[in-house]
Amino acid sequence: MIDLQGVLKRFGSLTAVDRVDLSIHEGERIVIIGPSGSGKTTLLRMINFLETIDGGKILIDGREAGYRRDRRGRLVLEKQQVICSLRSEIGMVFQHFHLFPHMTVLQNVMEGPVTVKRQPKEEARAIALDLLGKVGLLDKRDVYPAFLSGGQKQRVAIARSLAMRPRLMLFDEPTSALDPELVGEVFSAIKSLAAEGMTMVIVTHQMGFAREMADRVIFMDNGRFIYEGTPSEVFSGTMDNPRVRAFMDKVL
Amino acid sequence: MHACTLGLLFFMLLIPAAGGSAAETPGQYELLARATRLVQQDRLDEAVAVFRMVPAPLPGEEAGIFVRSRMEAAKILLSRKDYQASSGLCHEILALLPDNLEARNLLGEIQSAQTPRWLKFIKDLKIFLPTLVKATGMTLVLVLITMLISPLGGLIIALGRISRLQVLSGFFWCYIWIFRGTPLLLQLFFIYYGLPSMGITLDPFPAAVLGLGLNYSAYLAEIMRGAIESIDAGQMEAAKSLGMTYWQSMRRIIIPQTYKRLVPPVGNEFIALIKDTALVSTIAMVELMRAANQIYSATFNVFVLFQAALVYLVLTSIFTVSFRKLEDRLGVYENR
Repeated sequence: MIDLQGVLKRFGSLTAVDRVDLSIHEGERIVIIGPSGSGKTTLLRMINFLETIDGGKILIDGREAGYRRDRRGRLVLEKQQVICSLRSEIGMVFQHFHLFPHMTVLQNVMEGPVTVKRQPKEEARAIALDLLGKVGLLDKRDVYPAFLSGGQKQRVAIARSLAMRPRLMLFDEPTSALDPELVGEVFSAIKSLAAEGMTMVIVTHQMGFAREMADRVIFMDNGRFIYEGTPSEVFSGTMDNPRVRAFMDKVL
Repeated sequence: MHACTLGLLFFMLLIPAAGGSAAETPGQYELLARATRLVQQDRLDEAVAVFRMVPAPLPGEEAGIFVRSRMEAAKILLSRKDYQASSGLCHEILALLPDNLEARNLLGEIQSAQTPRWLKFIKDLKIFLPTLVKATGMTLVLVLITMLISPLGGLIIALGRISRLQVLSGFFWCYIWIFRGTPLLLQLFFIYYGLPSMGITLDPFPAAVLGLGLNYSAYLAEIMRGAIESIDAGQMEAAKSLGMTYWQSMRRIIIPQTYKRLVPPVGNEFIALIKDTALVSTIAMVELMRAANQIYSATFNVFVLFQAALVYLVLTSIFTVSFRKLEDRLGVYENR
């Protein structure tokens, strides 16, 4: 569905993502793990163009998307209109939720369809209520985000993304900002989404969750893919890559 | 007490003298001179008694000495707050010479000295109030129009300032630099007195509105820019991740979140604005300050300035309370 080919991102002298190739297939669940500062989040943000690439290309359904070259041959982002319509098909869930605090839960979930897709309010409302029911927050629909727990906020954020009917969901450390007892409710929301066959890329530090969810686990360090494999390969005791091994020993 | 006894003694001494033969009666000139001497010696009670001894002129006689002696006595009595005796003397003069201005004026003085201060204040208020109310209306019109114009201007300038287009942000930087960096009074002068030399002549009202609007837009722009930049960058990213354009994100997500944060500083500016409207009195606008000043110049009555101060205080108080309430209402989505 989406292919990253040799994507590169530099912040000053630091190379955050160093010529990485990644193919995301329909219905696939990819989990990216690795130490902090390894470029996982930057890579994720490249997929929905929140981070621009300094080299390489991004293909959507086999066609180059999002960038063109200016007269001097540098990559520049396409017109806003193009980028926005690409983004509207990719959902993203942030570590710190980023719910819109001035809107109720229901308004948060309706906002995308109404403003971006120009859906009629009644239609958007029906979709939103349905999604809030799925994440178990129907009773909180008229509450402002400030009055929710972290787990509830993240479930609303998931519903908000899903309201756009995305083809792909990106999760950027969705449980890192949560109290430990609230992690479970967010995981089960993501799991039920997986059960419906949603394509997703997840960055997480929760190894148990990674093992349970992933079709494919990618271990990233210093902006590169160090290891790629199935969960059983990565999490079995027989890992022979020393850096992955060292990381696993620390986190497990 | 001592002076009183002395006065009485004096009287007793004088009575036999007065009762003497006509030839021995002291002449009116002599009495006047004696009383004047007593005044100089600060023996006022005695002086009054002597002044009073000056006889009323016979028909056809010169009345000057009589009037003078009664006036002097009346003034002394007034300064001692003996209003009744003082006005009695005035009436003695008026009985003889109904048109005597001096006596009439003194009667007026006695009357106003007898009215209490608060009564005078109310009387003055009644006289000035219609003018002040009208002028307050103009002040309010100026405030309200500026309150409509400047947030719009401020928003445009603020968005220009945060634009990535260097030309745009540079232009608005200059605008803010000029309008925040020079006195409002000077800007008003320039618009009203300076622009005509470039062929643009404005009436006082449009000049005042333009000056206040341009100046306050610059101030509000900086406040709005600060408020927009204070919103967490994650909000813009979340909006973009849903597929919103920059303007959609601004309009739907970022700007609405600034409202509550804007209320305290903008309220401050609007309270300053109420007082700053006083400056347009210098470009021939008749508003509260100028009206008060005009009344003061005509009457030298300081109360009108107090009244104007009171009106300003009432207006600023109303603003203070309303902005407080507005802030609470805009904060309903916060968990406090």
